Order: sequence, then structure tokens, then C-alpha cells
Amino acid sequence: MLHHDIVVVGAGLAGQRAALAAARAGHDVAVVSKLHPLRSHSGAAQGGINAAIGAEDSVDTHIFDTVKGSDYLGDQDAIEFFCQQAGPTVIEMEHFGTIFSRGDDGSLARRAFGGAGFPRTIYAADRTGLALLQGIFEHLSTETIRIYDEWFLLSIVVREGRVQGITAFDRKSGQIEGIVAKAVIVATGPAGRIYGRTTNAHSCTGDGIAAAYRAGANLKDMEFVQFHPTALLESSILITEGARGEGGIMKNALGERFMTRYAPHVLDLASRDVVSRAIVTEVKSGRGFPGGYVTLELMHLGKEKIESRLQEICDFSRAFAGVDPVTEPIPVFPAQHYMMGGIGTNMQGETNVPGLYAAGEAACVSIHGANRLGGNSLLETLVFGKQAGVAAAAYVSGAPESRLAPTDLERETGHFLALRARTEGESPRVLRTELQQTMDQSVGIYRDPDDLYRALRKVRELQERNRNVHVVDPATTYNLDLTDALEVGHLLDLAEVIVVGAIARTESRGAHTRVDFPARDDKNWMKHTIARWTSGGPELSYAPVAYTRWDPTERVY
Amino acid sequence: MFAAEKLITVPFDVYRYDPTRGGEPRYQHYELRLAPHTPILSGLLRIRDELDPTLTLRYSCRSAICGSCAMLVNSKSRLACHTPVGPEVAEHGRIVVDPMRNQPVLRDLVVDQKPFWTRYEQMDPHLIPDPLRPMPEGRPTQMTPAQVDRFKETPRCIACASCYSACPAVEADPEFPGPMALAKLYRFVVDPRDGAHKARLQKIQTSGLWLCLRCHLCTEACPKDVRPSERIRDLKELAVRAQGGTEPGSRHAIGFMKNIEEAGTLNELKLVRQTSGLSGMVAAAGQGIRLARKKPELLKGPKTIEGIAEVRKLYAALEKDEEVPL
Repeated sequence: MLHHDIVVVGAGLAGQRAALAAARAGHDVAVVSKLHPLRSHSGAAQGGINAAIGAEDSVDTHIFDTVKGSDYLGDQDAIEFFCQQAGPTVIEMEHFGTIFSRGDDGSLARRAFGGAGFPRTIYAADRTGLALLQGIFEHLSTETIRIYDEWFLLSIVVREGRVQGITAFDRKSGQIEGIVAKAVIVATGPAGRIYGRTTNAHSCTGDGIAAAYRAGANLKDMEFVQFHPTALLESSILITEGARGEGGIMKNALGERFMTRYAPHVLDLASRDVVSRAIVTEVKSGRGFPGGYVTLELMHLGKEKIESRLQEICDFSRAFAGVDPVTEPIPVFPAQHYMMGGIGTNMQGETNVPGLYAAGEAACVSIHGANRLGGNSLLETLVFGKQAGVAAAAYVSGAPESRLAPTDLERETGHFLALRARTEGESPRVLRTELQQTMDQSVGIYRDPDDLYRALRKVRELQERNRNVHVVDPATTYNLDLTDALEVGHLLDLAEVIVVGAIARTESRGAHTRVDFPARDDKNWMKHTIARWTSGGPELSYAPVAYTRWDPTERVY
Repeated sequence: MFAAEKLITVPFDVYRYDPTRGGEPRYQHYELRLAPHTPILSGLLRIRDELDPTLTLRYSCRSAICGSCAMLVNSKSRLACHTPVGPEVAEHGRIVVDPMRNQPVLRDLVVDQKPFWTRYEQMDPHLIPDPLRPMPEGRPTQMTPAQVDRFKETPRCIACASCYSACPAVEADPEFPGPMALAKLYRFVVDPRDGAHKARLQKIQTSGLWLCLRCHLCTEACPKDVRPSERIRDLKELAVRAQGGTEPGSRHAIGFMKNIEEAGTLNELKLVRQTSGLSGMVAAAGQGIRLARKKPELLKGPKTIEGIAEVRKLYAALEKDEEVPL
């Protein structure tokens, strides 16, 4: 048994920022991650991080844009705090050593982003996530923090009404360990691999969200799934919104700038939900290219700008789609990109379980509400990662000692051992593929109730079949067959919550578009969905949206 | 855009080994029908899905940004997600996949990266602020585009270790930090916010910098065009400019440069003294005498070449041109 004051699960930006804050408060902090920290999916974020630090910009405009972008489902008190922290957060990261792009005057360069009233997205070419991940990782090395890299979370142990620690295993040796801790911070990122067409990494399987859900944490607003408008055709690799921020334009097969129909004022830089719906509508109306896609044109920006500010996506387009953005349009179509929902927390990162905290994409504060603005997710990881670290540090100072008994370890890892012992059954990859096909087809951008019910039946069938999931590989070292099996269980649990929430929410708001309820319904639905785990499936309840200054109005871009 | 391509047969021979379960490393043969532009990673994942779930590799983002899936593809260090199958099959007839070099195999294509990270950590890879020049309170540091340009392509590094795998100096000498670690060090040395660049250069000059063989295999292997060998060259130049020759490696470079400036050609005798000092000359005396017997003209030193005036003009021009970026 291992002992630490605080265990952070997940080593992306949110996890590392939380660990830094907790360690600075003088606690013994450990980070557990199934990947090396520098391989975290935070590093794949491209376009930038929002902060209203320009003289002509204002924090209030950032707040308003975020509230409007959320389709009035974001908690306004949290959004106010969030936007106020933006400037100090970016400056802190700059002082930690992050290498941002600069303007000619030496100040931080800024670009336009979707749904923003001002160009306030600070960036590092089109690899801002990587730049921040390097910055925080380098800075973290100045603190004494134990990093268990390539360890896989099995469970969060809650007894006597509070967190006692976690169970996990070392992927390199297969060895199971209990890690005793007074507080656990979940920062394991999203579960984008619920979908087949996703920009997310293969590792984005919602392990921490699923473990927290099983441990009694409420999940919030899970039905709100963001589809990024411009993913590369076929591979669904992300093409940053920054490409449109730099002046890129989308066209349909008729050569029309179709966004004039959907967002006459800001065109290609409307909110992501708006742009994704527009693309799907164009293709469904027969104005897409054969095979079903539209194009993103950068050619007019010129070779130099494309190759300097959009260097990575230039490479991606060439390598993964056989297209040179300097001379040709890029074929794009929306793909799953972000989960607005997650483990429900308050502004301090606290969940409903004492000692359990969450931050980053795994969490839902909520600042993104029904639709996240580009450039707000990197900011969220850092602002609320720090909040969670500070709050967990304060909690453990007054909390009683945690304890993990051998019986805890037995109980918590029973599922794992049964899985290892099974000699026949279903392939986890078959289950995963069937889940992904179902979600792609039936729980996408436009949601039809018949499709949603069909998806729910399928997910439940897969959950049933997953009881018999079989690991063929007997090895103890780096057993991917085993992690596939554990991950598919997580994906299935979370997919069920998404579908149940989507069926219940009979309105259209942000990224959740019901074909049978096309309008936003503030009277009945300006509220957060809360899902609690029960053996019979998620039990839903609702919580009010925190409201300060901004009355809901119709969203026009 | 990739046209609707005809599928081709792709023969894979993949290295398989699990040291914890004994046995010998072997190659396992798989065949898939794939479009030529399919990344090798997609092929390997299809093998896992359809043929053999025990095939073990690291992978995550599949878009060349997480650095997980570096491996040897037909003997070259490559990111599997960033290397299409078609050209490999066209050139080699098959795709032989091996784990990266210079790192012990944990299982199949998964290697133990501890040595790689340890060498990285030895570079003190974090900003060390200058106590005399604190960061500006409440605002970002000002940095001109020219200062940003000095980082060159180092911010693109994804720590995939392709360079480390390709490096013969890493293989030969445990003292050599490896291309990635040195490129990372370079990134801090040229950072105007860092207050320790002198100390960093001092330390590296006597601890491995000059062990680079200048073979450029790291630059060839780097999927993000960081060009580690050029960053190592930059570090050498910065080190010499900052503190002159402090050990044989830099003294050799300086001696070389001075020789050419003086005579337009090398004076081997002088170079030995310049590199290793008098004691070095004594140590190399036996070898020197043997050489001098065969080529007595060595003792006289070289004749100054005819175009020496032109050479000196070049030196002067270079001296004027080159700003010391610190």
C-alpha cells in the first residue's frame, strides 16, 4: 500500500496544474496517469487560450461571449470568476516558460476565434496545448511530486462517506496497488472515444469520470457533446478553429460561402454548434461534395502565413489527407471534439463526495454550459486545475486519516480479477466498435428521438454483453487487451448517461439539437442535468443555473 | 486529396518479445489489405482489432503530437501514425516493424524510456529565472519576434525519442545526453527569460556536448523538423563564444578555425597542441614520430595557401555578420 496526502489522477494540463497548487501548499502529492504526462491529450489542443488582455478588450466581453456561447446554460458566477482569472493565468504560464507566438511589438499575439467579440485568443502557432503542456511540465519539475506514469486507475475508494484513496495498477508490471489518500483529484480528460468519428486521442476513454460516477459522484450535463466543425475527412484529425481565425473560409460544392445563410454577421467564426449544424445541413441538402463534406480554404492566406501560424495542420493535411493547404482546399466534416459535461463540481472543484475533486474536461463546473467556445478549454484546465489543487490542499489539512484495508483492495479489484480469470467471451474491441457506430449514427449533431431510443437499447445490450468481456492476452506486462476491456466498460457507462440525458432533454440548446423540439425552452429547461449511478442505470435530477447579470436572449451570430 | 485508391497487400513483420515470459524475440508475419496512404499505426491497430490483440505498442493521439508511437519502420526511426504504408511497401516490399533502439524492450514495440527521460532531466529542463531580472509583475515578458525565432523549431519537439533511437553517440557513450535533451537545453539557453544560460553552457561544455558525432541521423529521424543536430551545433557555437575553449572538444574547434584563418589549411602539429595542450602532445608523441617518419613535411607545417587574403576576408565578413544571440 502506498500513501500520499493527495492523489491527482490524470497528468494533462488540469492534473498538473492541480498537482502544482497542492504541492505548493506543502502537501505530499502524487500524480497517477496511464500515459507519460507529456503524452497527455492536452498537448493536442491547437488554436489557443482566451484572455481579454488587450487594451481594447474587456473581461466583461469575454464573460458575455462565454455566457452567450453556453446558450445560457453556463453558471454565470463561475464564468465571471473564470474570465477574471484568464489574464493572470496566461501571464503565469508565460512566466513559467511557455513559448507563445508574439506580435511585432513583442507582446503576446492574439487571433480571432469563433463566438468571440474580440480577437482574444493567445496562441503558440497551432500547437498551443503542446506549448502549455511543456510549460507546466517543466515548471512542475521544480516541485517534489511523485509521478506514477503509465499507471491505470481501477477505482476511487469511498468509505465512511469520504475518499480513502484509489486502486490502480502499473501497466508495465501489471501489479495492483492501493494508494491511500485523503483527497483525490480527477483530471483524466474526456471520453471522446465513445464516438468513432472523434478528434480525441485513443486514450480519451473517460476512465476517471467513470470511476467517480461509480464512486457516487454526480455527473452533470453529459448530453452536451461538442462536434468540432472542421475535422479532416476520414481520419477526423482536428483542424483548428484558428485556421478560420486567421481568415480561412468554408465552401460547399457549389462554391458558396454557405455560412452567410447561418451566421450573416460573423460567418465562419460563429459558435461551433452553429457551424457544425450548418455543415451537416449543407451536406444533407445535397450541397456537399460527393462523399459528404465541405471544404476549408486557406490558399488566399499565402504560403508564409499558412506555414508559420498553421504549421502543424499544414503537416496534418499533407500527411493524413494528401492535401496541401497552400494550394488546395481541405476536405472537412464535423467530428466529436469535446464534452461540456463531466463530473459535477463547484468553482472550487469540489464534487458531492467529500475528498473528491475534479478539474478540466473530466469536470463540469459549468462554464461551457451547452456549448464551449474555442480557446476556453485550455483556460479552464489551468484555472480550475489550480482551484481544485488549492481546495484539496485546504481539505486534507483538516481531514481525518484515510485508510485502505486489504478487504478494500479485494472488493475494489474483484471486477478486475474476474476479468482476468474469464476464459471466454466477447472481444472488447468488438463492443467498442459497435458502441462507436451507434453513437456516430444516432447521438450526433441532430438528435431524433427514435434514434436516441434505439441507441439506448443498443448501449444497454452492449453493457450486458460487456459483463462477459474476455481478455485473450495472458501477459502481465503492458497488456493492451486488458486496458481495452476496462476502457470499454467506462465508455459504455458514460454513453448511457449521454443518451439518457439527451432523451430527457426535450429542447434544443447549444450542442444538443432535438429535431422534434427545435427551440430552446428556458421556462422548462434552463437547468443542469444531474446523473447519479444506480445499478439500474443513471438516475436523473436537475439543478438550477447560477445567474448574475445576463438575461437569456436569442443567440444570433 | 487522396483519390479513391486501390487497396494493396501490406505484409507486416512485427517484432514480438515479452522478456517476462521468456523465449526469444521473433518476427510475426501479418497481412492486411490497405489503401496506400493508410498510416502504419492504423495498420497495427487493425492487426490488434482483427488478427491479434496481444500485439503491444504505445499510441494515443494518432496525429503526430503526443509522441507515443515512435518505432523502427524498415530500420528507420519513425512515428507510426505519420508514416503511410504505400511508399514503404513500394520501396521494401514489406514493412518490418521493430522497437526503437537504445532503450530496453519492455514488450514487443514498447520500450523502457527511463534512460531517455533521465538524460532529459539532467538538462535542468525548466526556466531558471535571473534573480536580478525578475519577471514583470502582472504582465507577460516582452519578447521580440527575433527572440522568438531563436528558439528555432525546438518548441515543436514532442519527445517521441526518434532522435534518441537513431543516435550512435547515445549507443556508444552513456555520457552523451542525446539529441532531444540537447535540443531542449538549447531552448533554455536561448530563452531571454532564463537567467542561467551561462551556467548551463559551462556545465554542458564539459559534460557531453562535444560527444556528438555530427552524423545528423537525429535530424533525419525527427518527425517535427526540430533538427537536433543543428541545435547541438548552435549550442557548441554559443558555448565557445561564451567561454572559449574549456576542454579538448571546443579547443579542437577553435584550433581548427584559427589554423584556417592563418594559413588557409590545417597545421596538424599545431592542432594537437591547441586541442590537448603540451601534455597532450607528449602523450601523442609516439604516434607523432611514427607519422613524421612517413610524412616528414608534417613537421615543417603547411604552406600558406595562395588565396589566404580571400579566406581572411570571409572570416572578417562572418565575424561582422554574426550577432551573438545572448
